Amino acid sequence: MNAVITANGLSKRYKNAVALDNVNFEIQPGRIVGLIGPNGAGKTTALKAILGLTDFQGRLDVLGMDPRSQRDKLMEQVCFIADVAVLPRWIRVREAIDFVANIHPRFNRAKCEAFLARTKLTAHQRVREMSKGMIVQLHLALVMAIDAKLLVLDEPTLGLDILYRRQFYQSLLEEYFDDNKTIIVTTHQVEEIEHILTDLMFIQDGKIVLNTDMEAMGDRFAEVMVNADKAPVARQLNPLDERQVFGKSIFLFDGVDQHRLAELGEVRRPSVSDLFVATMKGTYA
Amino acid sequence: MSITWNDSVPIYRQLRERVVAMILDGALNEGDPLPSVRQVAADFQINPLTVSKAYQELVDDQLVEKRRGLGMFVTDGAREALLKSERERFLREEWPALYARLQRLGLDLKTLMHEASQDSENQS
Repeated sequence: MNAVITANGLSKRYKNAVALDNVNFEIQPGRIVGLIGPNGAGKTTALKAILGLTDFQGRLDVLGMDPRSQRDKLMEQVCFIADVAVLPRWIRVREAIDFVANIHPRFNRAKCEAFLARTKLTAHQRVREMSKGMIVQLHLALVMAIDAKLLVLDEPTLGLDILYRRQFYQSLLEEYFDDNKTIIVTTHQVEEIEHILTDLMFIQDGKIVLNTDMEAMGDRFAEVMVNADKAPVARQLNPLDERQVFGKSIFLFDGVDQHRLAELGEVRRPSVSDLFVATMKGTYA
Repeated sequence: MSITWNDSVPIYRQLRERVVAMILDGALNEGDPLPSVRQVAADFQINPLTVSKAYQELVDDQLVEKRRGLGMFVTDGAREALLKSERERFLREEWPALYARLQRLGLDLKTLMHEASQDSENQS
């Protein structure tokens, strides 16, 4: 199958900073990709480039199109939810639906209304009368009713309570995602999406420092809890990270044979957040 | 629904074990449909590929069958096959250790059976 997104030497320089530094990656259809990085690492710039919202150097192919020159056509196949993408405060639910129905050829009004019927939102309600969670619900209802190939989510659940956050991802999995769709999501709440992802990309200082599918990640990285007496042996195997818990050391290894590690202690699959912290060490120092 | 996964076993394996437990407990009977991949993915907030992988293992073990356009169903004989393999596994892996422990504690069959029948009386 053809990749949904291909980036070759993608770079973006602002006046005094490099936001993306010669980035290469490919995203296949039917995947849910987490783009994870510290603040200012280049996540949003990468998403903006994909959406045709910013100029860039290098090559970027999204659904076979150049987002800079074919943005209008591309936008029929791409949807976007961002923490900062605001709906006008005066607009009513019904007006928002009418608006999208008028401008978007792939919008399914019945689907949108069916989704909204399961929320507390009413047709007459204005955005300014809604809580943050309700606004995201409306946004999601509008976006999920569009039969697009690529959905880009930039911190979609920022500032939402746990109920809305869970419902957000549940709706996406239950009513939206399938083999023909692709989702890219950035978030700082890694724990919440860790099991949803098929692929993981870490971005740091404008570079992709890790790009793996989740299954390969489990084979490649391992966390081992080691008793003090075996800690020196573990250190010789070049761990990525070491931390102390209850008098034991927890080591994180990259690409060390798991049978070898099992001799040192209990082997576990590291969580994405542990891996992230170990990879990004020194970022703000 | 929220669930905590064990970090030392891949999630698809844990999911498979849950379905196996449900078949053994009779929560899923032979001929019953399994929830759809989409449903399980949404309920547990896990990737659909993970669910598919768990289901595929169950299909490979002939505990579950795919009916075109309808989804996954527990096969006839799944429970019996599972009971058989679980019994074998118990006798092979758990019983030797348990037997050794009973010996150490000096518990004989009569005492154990007496205890068991009292327990079931108390429950009823």
